[in-house]
Amino acid sequence: MSKPARPRPTILYLNQKIDRIPTEPAHPRPLSEHSARHPGNDMLKNRLRRTACALAVWFLATVFGNAQETSPRPLAVLPKLAIDLPAKEVALGHKLFFDKRLSGDATLSCAMCHDPKKGWADGLPLSKGYPGTLYFRNTPTVMNTAHGKYLYWDGRLPAADLPTVVRDHIAEAHFLQADGRLVIERLRQVPEYEVEFKSVFGGEPTYGRILNATAAFVKSLRSQDVPFDKFLGGDDAAINDSAKSGLALFKGKAGCIRCHDGAMLTDGKFHSLGLTSNPDIFQTPLRHITFRRFFRTLGVPNYRALRQDVGCYCVSKDEKQREQFRTPTLREVSRTAPYMHDGQLATLEDVVEFYNAGGGPRATKDPLLKPLGLTEQEKTDLVEFLKTLSGKPIEFPEIKVPAYKLRKLGEN
Amino acid sequence: MTEPHLPRPSFSLSLSAKSQRRRNASSPLKKSIPCSGAAQAARFCMGERTLTGRLAPCRYQIQRTAGVLSRLCALALLCVCFFFVAGCGDDDPPIPKPAESKPGATKQTGGDTKPSGQGGSETEPAPKPASTEVAATTTGADLSKNFPALAALPEVPVPRDNPVTPEKVALGKLLFFDNRLSGDAGTSCASCHDPRLGWGDGQAVSRGYAGTQHWRNSQTTINTGYLTKLFWAGEVPSLEAQAKSAITGNLAGNGDTVMIEERLAQMPEYVQRFREAFGVDHASFDLVLKAIASFERAEMTVRDTAFDRFLSGDNDALSDDAKRGLALFKGKAGCIQCHNGALLSDESYHFLDVPASDVFNTDPLRQVALRYQHYIRGVPEGEYRNADTDHGLYYTTKKAGDRGRFRTPPLRYLEFTAPYMHNGTLLTIEDVVEFYNQGGGRNENQSPLIKPLKLTEDEKFALAEFLYSLSGDEIRMSVPELPEYEVAADVAAAKSSVPQESEDR
Repeated sequence: MSKPARPRPTILYLNQKIDRIPTEPAHPRPLSEHSARHPGNDMLKNRLRRTACALAVWFLATVFGNAQETSPRPLAVLPKLAIDLPAKEVALGHKLFFDKRLSGDATLSCAMCHDPKKGWADGLPLSKGYPGTLYFRNTPTVMNTAHGKYLYWDGRLPAADLPTVVRDHIAEAHFLQADGRLVIERLRQVPEYEVEFKSVFGGEPTYGRILNATAAFVKSLRSQDVPFDKFLGGDDAAINDSAKSGLALFKGKAGCIRCHDGAMLTDGKFHSLGLTSNPDIFQTPLRHITFRRFFRTLGVPNYRALRQDVGCYCVSKDEKQREQFRTPTLREVSRTAPYMHDGQLATLEDVVEFYNAGGGPRATKDPLLKPLGLTEQEKTDLVEFLKTLSGKPIEFPEIKVPAYKLRKLGEN
Repeated sequence: MTEPHLPRPSFSLSLSAKSQRRRNASSPLKKSIPCSGAAQAARFCMGERTLTGRLAPCRYQIQRTAGVLSRLCALALLCVCFFFVAGCGDDDPPIPKPAESKPGATKQTGGDTKPSGQGGSETEPAPKPASTEVAATTTGADLSKNFPALAALPEVPVPRDNPVTPEKVALGKLLFFDNRLSGDAGTSCASCHDPRLGWGDGQAVSRGYAGTQHWRNSQTTINTGYLTKLFWAGEVPSLEAQAKSAITGNLAGNGDTVMIEERLAQMPEYVQRFREAFGVDHASFDLVLKAIASFERAEMTVRDTAFDRFLSGDNDALSDDAKRGLALFKGKAGCIQCHNGALLSDESYHFLDVPASDVFNTDPLRQVALRYQHYIRGVPEGEYRNADTDHGLYYTTKKAGDRGRFRTPPLRYLEFTAPYMHNGTLLTIEDVVEFYNQGGGRNENQSPLIKPLKLTEDEKFALAEFLYSLSGDEIRMSVPELPEYEVAADVAAAKSSVPQESEDR
């Protein structure tokens, strides 16, 4: 041991504290003769190495792609509509939305299940549907539909095509069960409508125009003066301290933001909460009938034996999506109780408690759901935050639907 | 006033029924009846897709030509048969062609003139020497030999694919009275075919589904098992098809077929009854129709009328007035030109120009229904824009000549089925008699069979008396006790037991 041992360089990466930075390599690697003679070859090797690295990164990213979901989009204020809605068309759609003549037996309007007084939903665990039927899912609000991605709990129609969604509601046997041609003739029997369609569309009522006008009205239903949006806009006093702690929990400990992210507080994706279906569906014959008919018409195998709502599977037929439902927006959430696709949770407190317990018992449950261990105060804060997502109620003058009048026979 | 006309032997009826069928089979009308336009268009489109372009219309043309040729052949065959039969001196002449469109045939309709024989030459029957008219001087010449004989109703015909069984009939009765076959579970067949209202609905124009008003009179369901053309314009060929249209029609039942099947599946009693009647575990909509049709065939047949008894030899079954009415029916009044055969209907189409119904001028919903019907039946736009009345057969054929023509309704059960005509504008049988007495309406396109009759008050009374004798006893029926929805058996059983799914936690 003639030479004293040199102290090893210590680099504490974690603390970013570096004792000694080697200025140059102790033993600079000489270029091999081969490399020296053919420098391009060495570059090729480097390139290959880089490509391999990139491939590995891509591979890992693909395999652990879910990891990216854990980096949610930030919450944001409600966006503006891409285009301005024509006010006349909205006003016409408003009447249509409240007009019972859009249903087969003229007893039901859109507004009877999407009631403005009940957060544009019906306040019931499970929706009622057409007379003689009962539906098997909860009525979602139509507020802020313009910014949605998919509609219905199973996401079977895209929100971008709202007129088609309106058509589906008018035509479906469990919703309005009306023949579009009959609806046209009914509206043509109302002089006010004839005038209004003329001024909005330049012509008489057609099915397409009816759908477009109704859809325009639905698009116009957007949250206004939302405290949380004001808070995001810089008004620190817009929400109280409890709500602020709730927001921190929402983004942190409670992990809500992993699915409820972005400006609409939804990822637009499908998840299973592990809920066992609302037993009322099967204990109320009328609901069970509608349930079977629905899944039968969508071609779900073995629909008679189902005792569990299959959710998005009925559309995709992808086993992985069984019992998954669309993440709903949390905007206006405090007005749209009861909650979940089959209305099993009566209050926001119940919802928070449900997530705190780690979700439902079904095996399909999304692994994101874990017991949260929230304290009572934390639960209260979370609910307090959720309440800040509702704007002031939309006030409308009482709508008066115009009446039928006689036409001159033979002048149609 | 003895009625010399003897009941025909039963073979005559079967022959006429057969030739009637044959006539129907070769008639282009019948072919085009069930949604002809849509079906042909669909076939056309499919052909166009598979045969790439211009070939398809060719094939369509060929098909049509072939159809026309085969019909011509059938007609020629018929003529040959006729000459053969007539040559043999058979006293049962074949049915003439529907005489309406032929100017020659109208000559037969004169009250006191004998059939002149200058109508359609080959179909003109040989004179029948045996039938001498005692009452000819007052009631007009007996025209009956030119038409299928009035006869007692035979057994109701039963389609081969739907034999009548007691299980089906019992099931069909429940279904007939069950509101749950309609969209909002508020309308049953019996809502518009009410046993207390002659199995119609007693209104001039039917009430229709909730939130709508119908556009035609609701016809009785009694003796409809004999018809081969149902609805006022003969749109469908069977009771099964009629039930389907009525249940799903948006002005009638507005029912959804799959919803109906699932509703029935929710009622164990129905499930059991379908199993017994059809041997199936799951009721299909098709079987619903079959059961209802079986019920109508079995329980809605009135064969024991005074007139049927009279035809079977009971001379006292008809009053003298009614007998005189019968003679008028066959003679001076000329009713038999259209109301003939055992059913008292030729099941052909005639334009009567009955008074326009006021409902289309007074009720917005009737106007909706009128336009809606024009819309869904695919008339040209101008037709839709000017729609002010019901054009009957025209919607099926789209031929101008078929405007206003409706299928001759049977006259049986008449007493209980007021008001009359497709729009219910004639309130009583007496009104109907008076309508014909005055020669119908004033429209120039009205059937030429209809002429002023110059009936005396007494004759009108006699004619009405005869018409009443066609009615028989009223069939009354109370609403049966209907099955109820029940919770699925496994759900009911599981409700008491402990819920499973603990393995997931």
